[in-house]
Amino acid sequence: MCFDCAQHERIWNGNVMLKIENLHAEVDGKAILKGITLSINPGEIHAIMGPNGAGKSTTAYVLGGRPGYDVTEGSATFDGKDLFEMEPHERAAAGLFLGFQYPVEIPGVSNLQFLRTALNAQRKARGEAELSGGEFIKLARKEADALGLDPEMLKRPVNVGFSGGEKKRNEMVQMGIIAPKLAILDETDSGLDIDALKAVGHGINTIMRRPDRAVLLITHYQRLLDYVKPDFVHVLAAGRIVRTGGPELAHELEREGYGQITDELAA
Amino acid sequence: MSLLALPSARDEAWRWSDLSGLPAIADAKPTGQPRSVDDLWIDTPGPRLLFVDGAYDASRSNPGPVQIGPADANAGRHALGKLAGSTGWTLTLGRDCATEGPVQIVHVATGGANHLAADIRLDEDAQASIVESFVGEGWVNRAASLRLARSARLMVARRFLHESGFQSHADTAEIGQAASLTIASLVAGEADSRLDGHLTITGIEAFAEAGGALLGRKKQRHDAAFVVRHAAAHGQSRQLWRAVADEQAVTSASARVEVTRDAQKTDGEQSLRGLLMARTAAVNLKPELEIFADDVKCGHGATVGELDRNSLFYLASRGIPPVEARAILTHAFVADALARIGEDAVREAFEATANSWLGMIA
Repeated sequence: MCFDCAQHERIWNGNVMLKIENLHAEVDGKAILKGITLSINPGEIHAIMGPNGAGKSTTAYVLGGRPGYDVTEGSATFDGKDLFEMEPHERAAAGLFLGFQYPVEIPGVSNLQFLRTALNAQRKARGEAELSGGEFIKLARKEADALGLDPEMLKRPVNVGFSGGEKKRNEMVQMGIIAPKLAILDETDSGLDIDALKAVGHGINTIMRRPDRAVLLITHYQRLLDYVKPDFVHVLAAGRIVRTGGPELAHELEREGYGQITDELAA
Repeated sequence: MSLLALPSARDEAWRWSDLSGLPAIADAKPTGQPRSVDDLWIDTPGPRLLFVDGAYDASRSNPGPVQIGPADANAGRHALGKLAGSTGWTLTLGRDCATEGPVQIVHVATGGANHLAADIRLDEDAQASIVESFVGEGWVNRAASLRLARSARLMVARRFLHESGFQSHADTAEIGQAASLTIASLVAGEADSRLDGHLTITGIEAFAEAGGALLGRKKQRHDAAFVVRHAAAHGQSRQLWRAVADEQAVTSASARVEVTRDAQKTDGEQSLRGLLMARTAAVNLKPELEIFADDVKCGHGATVGELDRNSLFYLASRGIPPVEARAILTHAFVADALARIGEDAVREAFEATANSWLGMIA
């Protein structure tokens, strides 16, 4: 079966988790996304790769609902619900997690307080019982241990004084505690040394590699994909997905660069 | 009382305060029916004093070393401080003495105006901590004199939580050699406020700190004006104010450092920050330096801004609804002003008070 046919078959057969159709979006009046179509099923890991300025981070922000990133055309559904009808915090409660390229520092608020507030807000929104302080601390320690983050760091203010690697590990600890259905990870591998990269890869695999969860991994380089093996690789250029393939596509891009693709677009 | 006797916005030092409502507030009669104050006692050992409309309630107090009677608040010509009169409470601690736990004082008012003076004297190496809470209605006016002898240490934490009316407080302090004074204020009620302080470092190597969080909404006006005067060498001072204004509120902080000619090697720091929660609110910040010595270090900073949009989106992306996200970030904004409070139980109580004002779920 050819790759495209395999794609179509899984879309027809699967119950699609995230379905993006002909998505156009602009920032400050400038069109960045120019018709993205993509479907993600439970159990799948998708990677979006592309040159700088292709719209990779914009895709993540539009799906997360960041103010200032305006959808001008197209649609996206998450578990059958219109994603763009939901506020950012409602998207999170529905099971969408956005991993940040530059996680924000929040002085004066401890990681534990922040995460417990976040988790309980989500649980409340879903009609689930909130976790007590004791239950939460147990969960947080377990997730920190699993990611190799010193549990003492959970007492420190959110990301304040953390190194680049610690911030990304902290994002993974957050993901572990929140346990989303779909994680959209925006250049989670940027600025990481090899140990932190392994830890982040391990985190993604342990937390998200499950039949009921899915990942959209946004990255510029192939190196994270050595640790997290994607099922599908998409190439984003000039606001559109111009190629889709399997893991081998990432290796091809690493070998040959994005030059050929951008040249083809320019032609 | 006459409006003529009060300073107006034409006086430079009072230009951000609005005292025009005071005569009407003062003319009202107290109802004499105070609200419950059980929620205000912090669970620590130590003396507890309750004042109802400025009158000492002996039946519900355990004064320890605190005495009730004549008190010289040393308020001089301060427009409001001088009205505080010459009776109130005094705390005098002899050499090497310390109170057992913080002295907690709750002032509850039921309307009208009440005035009270306080005189606190710590002899050499004495230590004390004082926690005051102001609740109720009407105008509560206080003046305090704080005198610290060599190596004495005093921590004062005050919560201004009136539901209506006006709250004014004026401190005058003299800080002797190697002594340390910290005054932390939290204004988180529904009434307007004016806080004044004039702290003088009189001995070498002394430390003075004044600061706090001013939380304003609706049409509230909060104004804090503190002066630290370095009159001796090798002194350190810190002034850290966080002013939050929502809706049509105006919150203001002015902090001045004066360094006399002999106060060489002074280390002064001022950090004034304002947070605008709405475009209709206003924050005024005025850091001032007056330096006559030539070998000093005085840092000052003043910034006013809104909540960071990136941070708000970060919290939203983790599932935290907008109202709560704003509360968390505002709490973060004022946290370092309350972090100066030494005792854990007191600091936590003040943080809880601030969080409840911010509508934050614990």
